[in-house]
Amino acid sequence: MSFARETDVAVIGAGPAGLSAALAAAQAGARVTVIDEYPQAGGQFYKQLAGGFRVIDRARLPGDYTKGDTLLARVRGAGIEILNEALVWGSFEPGVLSVRHRRATGTIRFRNTVVATGAYERAAAFPGWDLPGVMTPGGAQTLVKSQQVLPGKRIVLAGSGPFLLPVAATLIGAGANITAIYEATTPLEWAKHAPRLWGHWARMNEAVRYRGTIAKAGVPIRFGRIVVRAEGAESLERVVLMACDKRGRAVPGTEHIEEADTLCAGYGFVPAVQLTRMMGCAHSYESGKGGWVPTHSDDMETSVIGVFVAGEVAGIGGAHAAMAEGTLAGLMAAQRLGHTVADADVSAARRNRSRHRTFARLVADVFALKPDIDEIITDETLVCRCEEVSAGAIRAAALSWGANVNFIKGVTRCGMGYCQGRVCGSLVETLTARTLGVPAGAVDSFHVRAPLKPVTVKELAAFHPPIPDIQHLKDIHGPHHP
Amino acid sequence: MRNENITFGEAVNVFVDGTPLQAHRGQTIAAALYASGRRILRRTRVNGKPRGLYCAMGICFDCVVKVDGETERACMRQVEDGMQVTLLDPLTKPEPKA
Repeated sequence: MSFARETDVAVIGAGPAGLSAALAAAQAGARVTVIDEYPQAGGQFYKQLAGGFRVIDRARLPGDYTKGDTLLARVRGAGIEILNEALVWGSFEPGVLSVRHRRATGTIRFRNTVVATGAYERAAAFPGWDLPGVMTPGGAQTLVKSQQVLPGKRIVLAGSGPFLLPVAATLIGAGANITAIYEATTPLEWAKHAPRLWGHWARMNEAVRYRGTIAKAGVPIRFGRIVVRAEGAESLERVVLMACDKRGRAVPGTEHIEEADTLCAGYGFVPAVQLTRMMGCAHSYESGKGGWVPTHSDDMETSVIGVFVAGEVAGIGGAHAAMAEGTLAGLMAAQRLGHTVADADVSAARRNRSRHRTFARLVADVFALKPDIDEIITDETLVCRCEEVSAGAIRAAALSWGANVNFIKGVTRCGMGYCQGRVCGSLVETLTARTLGVPAGAVDSFHVRAPLKPVTVKELAAFHPPIPDIQHLKDIHGPHHP
Repeated sequence: MRNENITFGEAVNVFVDGTPLQAHRGQTIAAALYASGRRILRRTRVNGKPRGLYCAMGICFDCVVKVDGETERACMRQVEDGMQVTLLDPLTKPEPKA
């Protein structure tokens, strides 16, 4: 089965940014198609219960289930086409996306697009992080919120960043037994940033609420500690932790052990830039935004005309920044098509975006990855989980091949597996930079290749791309074009 | 976990390496396996190491299984009645044919 669709504004991703963009563009009069990989819109932030589950009384659900309801209801009422279980696996010419929608493969032709592909978690690597029972905090949250399954019986949370708090609150609300939360940074290290909190009362209030839930459950938060090892025969049995200094170095003699069957460890998020890379958008390295991000104008337009970005893909900034940017990108995409948008709406979206981005910069500074945190990654530690490549192999390849991670990929196979380097990419960049003693941004990132997401050969075989216009190619390339 | 405010979907039967497993419509294969207490979802190709759920959102592919002969992420694919799930263990059993 194959299809060829057309739309005015294609929005990729149905999280807070994508939904806000779709709504803004549709309300301005544009024809909008949203493409989303999951069975239900909402993304990771507005994660919904999986279809099949029934809620008896929606009002009695915890607040994190219902907070997306208003936005989702407005989107449903705005005449927006939403393709669920649809993924963009390539973009081979301007204005055309190659899409797999359920079992069919085809193209969606667009005039403007808003890429709102979000982010995924920055892997926390240490010896034993591949054991069953070690997972990402977001993974544990998804399992509970969407599937009503607890990830384990005795859970340790570790890593760094504000995201650990809502994850803990969700797990506690579901009756999970969390032994403790270990945050790599300390309040003392945060103190210098305190004045910048002024004015961000709503965000601070959220943190206080989560802290309240955690305190009420009697779960301690221990600061300045990192996981140095995960141990167990066939799955996780013990987590070994140590105190760390302000550079992230483990302090000798501080080792202690937590018996646990589940460890949720993560160091924040990495923007999902595979599609903007494939579309040819220029990227720059900004550590405060989570690494490589597409550069964009004040209107959220990338270096490729008609390709806008919004939310985490444009830099880690949280759901509120994502919604503001989504609205702005949606308005500008519609305006570009000739629709009238109110100046007041545009300036309100700009103001919101600036306010939330200012807060995001503060969070990024407070929870910045400590520079020596990778010293716990021994040479035997697995880095590429798919192809089973160790840190030692990557360090050796970096010494031989220099700061080109694509050479290192070719030599070691790291990043060549099913996940296409999404999990190990940031680790390989960090290890390479540290091995060579160069700044993180001096190291390239993995090239992207189609298919960006899985598509079967059977589906590809049924996919008929438009036949190229030979005369047009001859006009461009000369008469000898084959 | 059971939240009395949420009811599970209708019961469906899936087969995991030929053994029946009761699951509920709406559940992913991974959630059904975790709910049954199973945490090792496959063994790796090179070193035969056990793996479980890692990202649970379709990014990492650590939870891949064979479903009716096709490779699928257990955290993304929802259960269907009569579905045949094969856990990957290349060191002890050959990959099933599609």
